[in-house]
Formats: sequence, C-alpha cells, structure tokens
Amino acid sequence: MKVTYNWLKDFVDIKIPPDDLAERLTMAGLEVVTLEKKGSDFVFEIEITSNRPDWLSVMGIAREVAAITKSKVKSQKSKVQFKIQKSKQEKFEIKIENKKDCPLYTAKIIRGVQVGPSPEWLRTRLESIGCRSVNNIVDITNYVLFETGEPLHAFDLDKLSGFAIIVRRAKPGEKMVTIDGAEKQLSSDILVIADERKPVACAGIMGGKDTEVTGDTKNVLLEAAVFDPVLIRRAKQKLGLQSESAYRFERSVDASMVERASEIAAELIEKLSPGKTVLIKRAGACKSLKKNIILDLSRVTKILGVKIPAPRIKSILLSLGFMVKAKAQSKFSVWPPSHRQDVALDVDLIEEVARIYGYERIPPTLPSVKPQLAARDTLDTVSLIKNILTGLGLNEAITYSMTERSLDAGLGSLEKLRAVEIRNPVSCEQEILRTSLMPSLVRCAALNLNQKQDYVNLFEIARKFYLSDNGPREELCLGIVLCGSKSLALEQSMVKDEVGLFHLKGALENMFLRLGIKDAVFSSEPGGVRIDLGGKKAGYMLRLSPGARDKFDIKNREVFVAEVSLEKVIPALNLKKKFSAPPKYPGITRDISLLLEDSVRIEEVFKAMRSAGGDLLKDLKVADFYKGTQIPAGWRGLTLSCFYRSDERTLVEAEVAPAHAKVGLVLTERFGARIR
Amino acid sequence: MDINSVKTQISADLALVNSSAQLEEFKLKHFSRKGTLSQLTAVIPTLAPAERAKFGQEVNAFKNSITALIAEKERVLQAGVQSGPAVDYDIGMPGIVQELGRLHPITQTINEISAIFTRMGFCVVEGPEIETEFNNFTGLNIPLEHPSRDAFDTFYLKDYEKLLLRSHTSPVQVRAMKSRKPPLAIVVPGRVYRPDAVDASHLFMFHQIEGFMVDTSITFADLKGSLEMFAKAVFGNDIKMRFRPHFFPFTEPSAEVDISCIICKGVGCSVCGRKGWLEILGCGMIHPNVFKQVGINARIYSGFAFGMGIERIAMLKYGINDIRLFFENDLRFLKQF
Repeated sequence: MKVTYNWLKDFVDIKIPPDDLAERLTMAGLEVVTLEKKGSDFVFEIEITSNRPDWLSVMGIAREVAAITKSKVKSQKSKVQFKIQKSKQEKFEIKIENKKDCPLYTAKIIRGVQVGPSPEWLRTRLESIGCRSVNNIVDITNYVLFETGEPLHAFDLDKLSGFAIIVRRAKPGEKMVTIDGAEKQLSSDILVIADERKPVACAGIMGGKDTEVTGDTKNVLLEAAVFDPVLIRRAKQKLGLQSESAYRFERSVDASMVERASEIAAELIEKLSPGKTVLIKRAGACKSLKKNIILDLSRVTKILGVKIPAPRIKSILLSLGFMVKAKAQSKFSVWPPSHRQDVALDVDLIEEVARIYGYERIPPTLPSVKPQLAARDTLDTVSLIKNILTGLGLNEAITYSMTERSLDAGLGSLEKLRAVEIRNPVSCEQEILRTSLMPSLVRCAALNLNQKQDYVNLFEIARKFYLSDNGPREELCLGIVLCGSKSLALEQSMVKDEVGLFHLKGALENMFLRLGIKDAVFSSEPGGVRIDLGGKKAGYMLRLSPGARDKFDIKNREVFVAEVSLEKVIPALNLKKKFSAPPKYPGITRDISLLLEDSVRIEEVFKAMRSAGGDLLKDLKVADFYKGTQIPAGWRGLTLSCFYRSDERTLVEAEVAPAHAKVGLVLTERFGARIR
Repeated sequence: MDINSVKTQISADLALVNSSAQLEEFKLKHFSRKGTLSQLTAVIPTLAPAERAKFGQEVNAFKNSITALIAEKERVLQAGVQSGPAVDYDIGMPGIVQELGRLHPITQTINEISAIFTRMGFCVVEGPEIETEFNNFTGLNIPLEHPSRDAFDTFYLKDYEKLLLRSHTSPVQVRAMKSRKPPLAIVVPGRVYRPDAVDASHLFMFHQIEGFMVDTSITFADLKGSLEMFAKAVFGNDIKMRFRPHFFPFTEPSAEVDISCIICKGVGCSVCGRKGWLEILGCGMIHPNVFKQVGINARIYSGFAFGMGIERIAMLKYGINDIRLFFENDLRFLKQF
C-alpha cells in the first residue's frame, strides 16, 4: 500500500518530518518498506498485514497517524449536499438474490458526464502511488478507493440493458470479457453484477469490458457495495484475477463507509465533469453489530508484563476510535469502531494498547522456567550418530525431501516402496516425496564429481516417505554415499585408497559398535548387501549399477551407497557401559599365513577356527591379505592372527602349541587352505 | 669438621656425577638432613660468638655456589636425555591425520540455537513433516479461507484431502500442547515446505525453529527478555534489537524482531536494504483461540511463541548470499563450516 505525505495531511495535521513519521509508523505495526521523495511530496510504501483492511486507505492510515502523534483526524463533513432533481422518468431497481453474498448495494446514476483526462492534481496523486491514470471518471473511482478503502465501480449506464442491477450467482455456461480483455468462464460459485440480460461485472473483482466507461460515455451508474469476503476470495482464485477491489473485499470493507465513499466520488464527478446525480438507490443494509468487549486491566499486566496506567489505556483506545466506558473496578467496557472488525477479544485490545504505548517501552525480563528433564530421545541419538560419522570423516549433506519420480525408482534398492505424490508441485523436482535418500545423495555425488572432487563421502539423516496400508508414512533414515579415492598418508609415503563397499561396511560397523549394537549382520543378496539388526532387516548397501550411474551422468566412477532405517537402529541401541578388568596375564600371538580359495567365506573359517582353538583362543583377526600375480588365480593370500590368553596364568609355549596345531589342521582339512 | 676438606670432597663428588640417579645419591649424601652440610652447620653453636658469623657466611657462600653447579649439572643431564642422533625434519610437510567430516551448516546453526534455548531450560521436540490441515492451519487460528493464509502457501498430498507438507513448524505447538501439560518450554527445529518459486532467497524446502513457553505468568516482557538473550548469544552482545508490532494469526499481541544490521552496524547497506535493520524472527503471545483448540485455559495460562528461518540466520551469520548453496552439498562449501 502506497500513501503520500501530502495526501495524509488532507486528513490529519502532521508536525513531524516524513522520515520520523516512517519510523513511528513502522514501530506501530505499519512497516514502511520504502520512503521516496517525489516532486514536492513523499511516498510511503507500507506493508499492511492481512488483519488490517482498514489500513488499506489514506483515511485509515491518517487515523493511525493521529493516534501515534497524539493529533486529531480532521472532520470530513460533506461540503456539497446532493440536490437531486426528482425526475419522474428515472426508474431503476437493484435486486439482490442473496443478502449473505451481498449485504449492501448502492448505486448512483449520474447523467451528463464528460469523459476526459483528469486534472493535474488527480493524475499526480494517482501516479505517485503507482496507479495509472485512465480518464476522469475511472480515476475518481480509483482515487476514492485509495482514499477511503471502499472499492467503487462505474458502469456506462447506456450500455446496461434494462433498468435493473441484479446481484446474483453466475449461471452455468455464462461468460464475460473483463476489463483486462480476457474472456472468463463463469460458474455458480462466482458472484456477478448483471443487467437484465447478462453479467456485466465479476462482483468485487473486475468490471466487464462491454459496460466500461469510455470516451463516449454520457451517463454512469456508480456502484458502491459490500460483498462476502470468502466468496470474493474463492472467485478471484478461481478466475485467476487480482485487483485492488478484490484485495480489499476479501479482507472485508467497512460497511458504514460505503455510502460516504459513494458520495465523495459523486461529488468529485460533479465537480470535475459537469455530470449531475439524478438518482440514488440502495438495497440491503449496513448492519453494524455493536458488541462490546470487557477489558480487565489486570489482564493487560498479565499479558504484557508491564503496568500501564488506566487513564493511558483509556486514552490510547479512544485515540484509535474505540468507545470506552469504565465498567467496574479496573474493568473497561470497550466498543470497537465499525472499521475494526479484526478486534474481537481482549487480547486484541491489549495489542492495540501495547502498540501505541510502544513495544520498546516494555522492559525485557526473564521468565522463571520450571526445568523439565526430557528423556533421551531420537534427537540425541541422531546427534550422536552424526558425531560418530563426522568423526569417521564423513560430511553431512542436507538434500530435498522431494524428487522426480524417474530418479526415485530403480536405483537398485532392495525394496520397492509406493511413493507419496504431491498434489500441487511447482516443478517436476517436486513430483513425489522420496522413498529413499539414495537418489538425492547420488545426485550430490555427481555434482561433486563434476566439480573435480576426487573423493566424495557424504551422509544424510532425514526422512523417507512411502504409502503404507494406513496411509502416508515417514521413516527416519541414514544414507551414505561414497565414491572416488582418498589419499592416505603413511609415515613413509602416500597411497591412493580407492573406496569400495568395505569402506561403507567399516563406517557402519564402527557406528554400530559405538552405539552398543553387537548383533549387526551383513549378508550378501543378489544386488547388494543386506543389513540386519536383531534379526530384522534394517538396511542395505550396494554398488550402483552402470545403468543407475548413467541416470546421474556419473562416468568411470564406482559409487557405493548405504541406507539404514534409524527406526531399526534406535531400539537396538545399547549405550549402557559395563566395566571388565583388563586381563592380568599377557597373551601370545601366533600368525598363520595361508592361501585360501576365493569361494571360501571368511566367516565360516573363523567360526571353525574358534571352535578348534577352544577357550584359550581369545581373538582372531585378518592381519594381512593379498591378491595378485604371486598367487594362483581364484585364490587369495591371507595372514590370520590368533591371540591366545588365559585368565588364570601366563601361558607357556607348551600350552599354546597344541591349540594352535588344531586351528591349523581345521584350515587345511576343512577349507583346503595351503599353509605357507 | 674442616670446612675446606668438606668443600674439596663435595666438589670432587659432584664432578663424578654422570646420571640423574647419581645426582640424587649425591644430594642425599651431602644435602639431606643428616648430610655433610648439615653436619658442618651443626658445629656453629660450638664456635666462639665472634667466629660464628664469619663461619656461617662462608658456609652459605659455598652452598650457593654448589647449588648453581647442581642446577648446571641437571641441565646437562637433561639435555643428554633429549639429544640422540639428530633428525632433520622438513616440518612444513603435512601432518598425518584422519580428516574429520563436518556437520552441515544448517545442523550447526540448529545445534547452536537449540543449545542456547536448552541452557535456558527449554527442551527440544520434533514433529512429523506430513501434517493434517487442522494442525497446520485451523488449530493455529488460521482460517482456511482468509488472506492470512496467503503467507502459508502449502504443498498438499495427492489422494489425501486433508494431508499436507507442513508449511511451518508451528503445528508442533498444537501437538505438544495437546499431549503435555503446562508448564511447557519447548523448541522445535525441522524442515518445512512451501511451493515458492526458487531464487537466491527462496526455496520450496527450508528449515525453521519454533519455540514456545506456557505457564501461569508468562508475559510479553519475558518474550522480549528471552529473545534478547538468544539474539545476543548468536549475533554478539553489541547488537541492538527492536520489536515491531506485526500480525500472526496464532499470536496476539504479535511482533517481528529486527536486529541492527551485523554487516553495517545499523548505518545501512545492501544486506539490510539501507534500513540498518535485519528482520530475524516473528513472535508473540499465544492466541487464546490456539489455547482453546488444545484445551488449555487461557484465563489461567499465558505463553509466548516465536519462529525463525534457520537458513536466514545461517546466511546472516556466515555471510552466505544464495540459499540454494545449502542444498547443493558441494564439498567445497560444506568443508568451510
């Protein structure tokens, strides 16, 4: 909403300069976004909140200026009294189909107008607030709209068929070309102004092209009315139209100002064009529901935390046009003015008092908090997991929850979920809610590879969404993507470490360990590796297929992804720690170097070795492995480290030897290993 | 005991000391309570008064000289431990390390803000991202067909009439106030969604943090105090703050909070649009209609609520000029935080 300094001065004496006024308005809730000097005037652009349609007018803002500068609004008694020459020939009817849609409709017939350019002052004012000048009649309706906040419309009377205005719902199949030149399809949820033949305006939104005021217009019908806000809002959304009128009607206008606004406009038309008002018609009524609000002064203190003296509260409310009567001890009975339909409760009054008193004068205090110790919850676990993963060198990503359908499917995820669709996406990137974190993480990997990053290691903890039998569901997940190679510095040299599935496994194992989860099982399945926690499927990891990589334009790089449901991790969590004394007696390590066929699974080997080694065998580790030219194809070289220890004594060689021999025997006999 | 022979003896012994252990032995022999020096001073009372002072001075002078020699010996022995074959390090070479990963700047900002409020006694709660129309609008006193809804353009789910992606974190207020009893002091971080056209400062997904406190005597003054403490903790003690009246359907009275521009210190620059102020959050006293919806008696209880955009705070804090950077996850961006 734009308003000028001089225009405001028509209604209120302002004794402070424009920039001071801008500051005062801002601090009273009318945020001045720009203040611009235009000629000898200043233009304020003010952001008006949706609860204050009364501020969508110069007069409304002038009322506010008066209240915050402790000044008075100039009285605006009409200077010209309408002398209507009663003419027997003038007959005109207004029919309102439904009073709920249109509680009040007024029309003035003004004859003998001369349409032409507006005088300089009128053009300047309109243009200064960004309204294009059209002709004197249209300009006057616009001027009055901005001045009073009441939208008006002028029809070319001679282009209306018959002698009646009918306010009714559009009939199915009816069409109309609006002033902007577009043909609009109407329907029964759209309120129209019609003559006896057809709709001539979309009520409260925009007039029709056929009946608009043009250079040839001689007689006009001036409309001022009140329409149902919700109806206007629905219609403008349906028609895709926006106008200054609709903007005000959907916020609701001050019914008590309708006739006054019409008079101001008629007066101006009579003054600026030699027209004459010959008929005034009105249907419906401006019903003013005078309901009072009880303001308990102790509530003011309870809500604001500052004691404002009763006389000050009263004077603030009076300055804003409220009627105030002392009701009982420290209670006021307050009646809001007709333009304040937003005020319904005592807190609304308290805000008015606080606004004018000044938020800045309310001293900051600190509340006394009764501490609540919340139980450890998901957030703490998520935070712990994030710390573990960053400690492992992974970087956290945050990606969009929505994605394209084509990217979401077919990444080789081990399960297919039904996606939740978005009804009103703005672009195809928002078609559905993702059923997996993978696509968005792979997209990040692709972006980073494009930026010549040679190592990408990202994780995200966020929700995935899918349709369950009970409707849409969200599930908190951890996603990891790894690709490229990292440089590892050793004491003597740097080596390139090409990342693979085992880096993913290592990160997850470490994480599970740190979370006290001991029963994580990784098992190969066609297409990837399944991860089970407590015997239940919790996630998967896999190497992207070349086809999947193509979708993301990733060339010549292997990409590894994992996804784990935190809904499965959290119940498995065990953060309780129990001390066990470090072993008293030292142990003995025996290494075995051997060749093993690729098809032999290491887990099976360890299981057998453990049972062969008995109680003394405390730990088994892969100490080294090798595949390459020195080893027959289909075989691998391994060094397995066996650690023997007793809790009762220091072991001697003679005790370890038989156990270790048994372990060796298992390797050769059961797994066909060749000891080296 | 002859002072000169003692002197000779001690000096000779010290010369033979070659290790820390020998030095300890030496100290024990000569400087302990029953050591040579103590024996020497023990004779002082037996001397003639005239000689006492002279003798005492002589012993002290010797003691000082030998103490200096011991210190020198200690230094030499210490140096001997440290030396060894010299290594010529090119210490400019990189250290060997397992690189740490970084938390996303949004997470870091959420953590920082949550931590400030938890230190004030708030607890952190989350809510679902798929919400009901009731929790997102009606329960928060936002009429379904009113222009006040224009600020909350919303993504709806297909095939589910009343379900949507929450357009703000405030629905968690409704949930929390329904499921818990006052006193309440809660902050809620999370993702929110709005079908906005994408540009440098708008996205269809972003993060908010919501906070609210409900008790029998929570006031607007408390709201001001709490938020002032928050803003100073995040942006520094020297910022100025102002509360401007504003409108939100779920609070009354309502305010927007500005801080003095952290770039130009309030003079006016391009970041603050020459205003000298930066809007950082919206807040107010919880509307009685919201209390009514969740079954809290507004005659007994009062409360404040506030909400802010995390991206906005992070952009101001770190000087980031394009909101899209947060979701590209370029490692060169992520590794700056």
